[in-house]
Amino acid sequence: MSTCALSSLHHALKRSFEVLEQTQERWNGALSACSPLLVSLGNLGEQMRALQRAPLERTPMRAFPDLRPRLRFKLLQAADALVGKLLEQTSVLQSLRDMMSNQAAAVFQLYAQHADALELSSCLRRSATCPSVADMMGWLQDAERYYHNEFLKRKVLLETLRPNDVSDLQTSPKRWESLTNQRGDDCITGEARRASRPASCQPMLRCGTLSPSRVSHPFRDIVQGGVLQRVLVSIV
Amino acid sequence: MEEMCLKVLPLDPVDLGTQRCRLGPEAMVSLGLKIGFPVRLSLSGGDCLCTAWPRSDLAEGFLQIDTKCATKDFTSLMNRNLLVSLSQIKAVTCPKVKCVRVNVVVQSEEFKKNSPVHFIQDVVKDMLRGTYVSERHVVNVRHLGTPVQLIVIERLHQSTGETGLITGKTSISVGEIQTHSKYISQQKELSSIALGGMEEVCALLKEMLNLPLNYPGTLQKLGLSCPKGVLLIGPPGVGKTTLVRSVVKEVGASLVTINGPVILGSRPGESEENLRKMFQRAAQASLDGPCVLFIDEIDSLCPKRAGSRSAPQNRTVAQLLTLMDGIGSVQRFVVIGATNQPDTLDPALRRPGRFDREVIIGVPVLNERKSILDSLTSKMALSDNVDLIALAEMTTGYVGADLSALCREAALKAIFWSSQGSHGQTVGMEHFLEAFKKVQPSCLRSSIGLTDFKPITWDQIGGLEEVKLKLKQSIEWPMKFPEAFVRLGLSRPRGILLYGPPGCAKTTLVKAAAGSSHCTFLSVSGADLFSPFVGDSEKALAQLFRQARACAPSILFLDEIDTLLGSREDSRAPHSVQARVLSVLLNEMDGVGLKTLERRGTERQKYLAEGSSDVKEEQQMEYHEVCNKDVIIVAATNRPGVIDNALLRPGRLDKIIYVPPPDLEARLAILKICTEKMPLEEDVSLKELAEETHLFSGADLENLCKEAALLTLQEESMEASTIKHQYFQKSLQSMRPSLSTQQIEHYQHLFMS
Repeated sequence: MSTCALSSLHHALKRSFEVLEQTQERWNGALSACSPLLVSLGNLGEQMRALQRAPLERTPMRAFPDLRPRLRFKLLQAADALVGKLLEQTSVLQSLRDMMSNQAAAVFQLYAQHADALELSSCLRRSATCPSVADMMGWLQDAERYYHNEFLKRKVLLETLRPNDVSDLQTSPKRWESLTNQRGDDCITGEARRASRPASCQPMLRCGTLSPSRVSHPFRDIVQGGVLQRVLVSIV
Repeated sequence: MEEMCLKVLPLDPVDLGTQRCRLGPEAMVSLGLKIGFPVRLSLSGGDCLCTAWPRSDLAEGFLQIDTKCATKDFTSLMNRNLLVSLSQIKAVTCPKVKCVRVNVVVQSEEFKKNSPVHFIQDVVKDMLRGTYVSERHVVNVRHLGTPVQLIVIERLHQSTGETGLITGKTSISVGEIQTHSKYISQQKELSSIALGGMEEVCALLKEMLNLPLNYPGTLQKLGLSCPKGVLLIGPPGVGKTTLVRSVVKEVGASLVTINGPVILGSRPGESEENLRKMFQRAAQASLDGPCVLFIDEIDSLCPKRAGSRSAPQNRTVAQLLTLMDGIGSVQRFVVIGATNQPDTLDPALRRPGRFDREVIIGVPVLNERKSILDSLTSKMALSDNVDLIALAEMTTGYVGADLSALCREAALKAIFWSSQGSHGQTVGMEHFLEAFKKVQPSCLRSSIGLTDFKPITWDQIGGLEEVKLKLKQSIEWPMKFPEAFVRLGLSRPRGILLYGPPGCAKTTLVKAAAGSSHCTFLSVSGADLFSPFVGDSEKALAQLFRQARACAPSILFLDEIDTLLGSREDSRAPHSVQARVLSVLLNEMDGVGLKTLERRGTERQKYLAEGSSDVKEEQQMEYHEVCNKDVIIVAATNRPGVIDNALLRPGRLDKIIYVPPPDLEARLAILKICTEKMPLEEDVSLKELAEETHLFSGADLENLCKEAALLTLQEESMEASTIKHQYFQKSLQSMRPSLSTQQIEHYQHLFMS
């Protein structure tokens, strides 16, 4: 009974991590689609600032009536359009987030169903080839939370963006960049690869060389993050 | 099974915001916890809701908690070396929540203004998704770096119970959106400041703040404009600032404080601009709720314009006046000013419409001191022998600040003594008495009359039993048995004149009287009083009286009053300094009334308390206050003849006591006291000496003993161990009595005719 439950849990986890790997690619793709839009948004901010400063009255263009407000209106329109596009992109991010949270919820529900039958020790058992169920569940939850938080931060940034405020527009690409949680991203990538393809680690571990510099790349990500160093030590 | 304790370690950075608590697997098994299931941690100071996760290194005995969802004060508990026993961790069931009501704390007012409510609601919903929450817990979402900082869970849906899991389907209603600063100030308000003996003023201020807020309609209907300003007047240290802070906290108003020095700028116009800014700030804050603009030490900001010639100063005053006029009924804020020198304020400030009400907070009276001491010592570990009523009686003239200094000093003494190992950790009466020596009432600091003298007991004065009794009657009895005085309609004498030949212990008697009753003792001499400037002496005397009254009951001792005052009948110098000082003295002793600023305590309404012992105690205190609110003047002279008659009539120096030269028995008693420390030969007969020293004053007798001792050293050697009778006799021969029969007769008949 217990082994059956454990294997079904393993199976579900493995599937989730495969989904996670795909999700990560699509997530990064969506993000990279956003960045040129944000750069243009920053440019619009720059133009708006230039418009504010430009001495239009002293140029030949002074013949045009209401030039400054008109130009400003155009720029605002463009900014609005860009923000609209960005929000469209975030809906892609949202769907990815929802997918991941559904995955995690499914796994946790499965665990909850079998929780009484499963012994804690069996969930904590790690082997050289395979991380423990508890670890994988933790990673899955981490990944889900990562998407959740990332999406939330980006959404708040876009929603609170005010096209009227020049400096707000100008700094938006930088702020967008600063939201990217590089370490979290690395962790996700590493975890996804590791959990979905545990066998790939096998030969390295058998060699018994576990100094961080010589561990293969899926491990290195994690080790550099400093997060799961203890896991490695405890495996030894 | 022995109870296992887990050591709390700081959280791993990766677990931040995950609501996980990491335990060892064995601890999880023994508690029956499953991975990722919700648990509640109940410590003595607060609760925290987490999900149980095994530690990644599977080590036992440690606990790491992410306090994402916890009660308010939980984070402050997470200090190092905290131990949590397993019984404090419990698994809880968390059904999915259908709907939840939350308050949101955001970073800035700007964000609150610019974001529509539905957006904040969306964000909060996203933030709470997947979080286990409990009622009255605070969800901390600062780690996300968004403007939303805290989410306070107000109420869950009834069917779910106290704890639950928030899912995507939970409907969230946002109640209040607060800024972080306001939230912090509201949290502080719960720990209110203890205030003793200020109930009436407190109620008045509260009413002023609450009235326009709670009944705006009624006020409008009546066509009333709400009072907008209060001026608090009182000597330093009575708790004006503390009062305002505590009232503001209780009402839940926000407080904007103006400090004079901060406002004043160096550039022309800067001070006015700063003032305007502060009023603007208060107006902004008043949109949020009731608001108090507190101007501490307003005398520095708004001095009299007529007196000063500095134009910038006058402009600032004018700006303040116009700003105070400009507070419309729309802006719901109250201006409270505090000062201890109301006379230096610009008169234009003190009219209705600006400061509508003036509240005088006086030096606390006995029962107020008692309640102040009560509230101060409520958090101290007192031993049983501490009698707060006795302490309150002793601390006449002490204001709140002095009393808190006294308590602090006593506590420090207790710590010091307990560190020496002799006593327990409680503060006892002996600590208070020790501290009492150190802490002087602040109203007496810089007083000219304050004297430090060695206390003398009645027993150290030989003879004069009748005089002692009279002094006790007029000084000690009103303090000790006030209810008897009130019962018989007696009032204590205003002043006492001791007269008699020189050297007959008049000064010593007064010292003993001061020592035996716990009252302030001020002594003044001509050196303190007279000054080369016209009017200075009078001012100094008036000041002395003011201070004595502030610390009442007090004794004001005027030694050699004849030289101090002189008589008006003595026409040689009709407008001399002495005559003017005399007129001040007469006025102060028997004037029309007191200045309003000198009011003692706050006006009390009599209320009937239940419980007879309380009432009795209360009455006792009341009597004490009625009987002892005045200053007793004690004057001493050996030329009573030259004292102005006006001073000697009842109501002024109404008790005139003759201190006679010592008779035979008194001389014997004096000699006994003087030779107490002297080794006498067997043959010395003090009685014989007493018989031979007719017309000797007390001072003479003391001198006689000294002379005899000196003579012994001179005649025998430095090693002499006893004083023989012959030396007394020998020194007696060389001395003359300082009194004469004629003199004594003169004194005796002075007030007889």
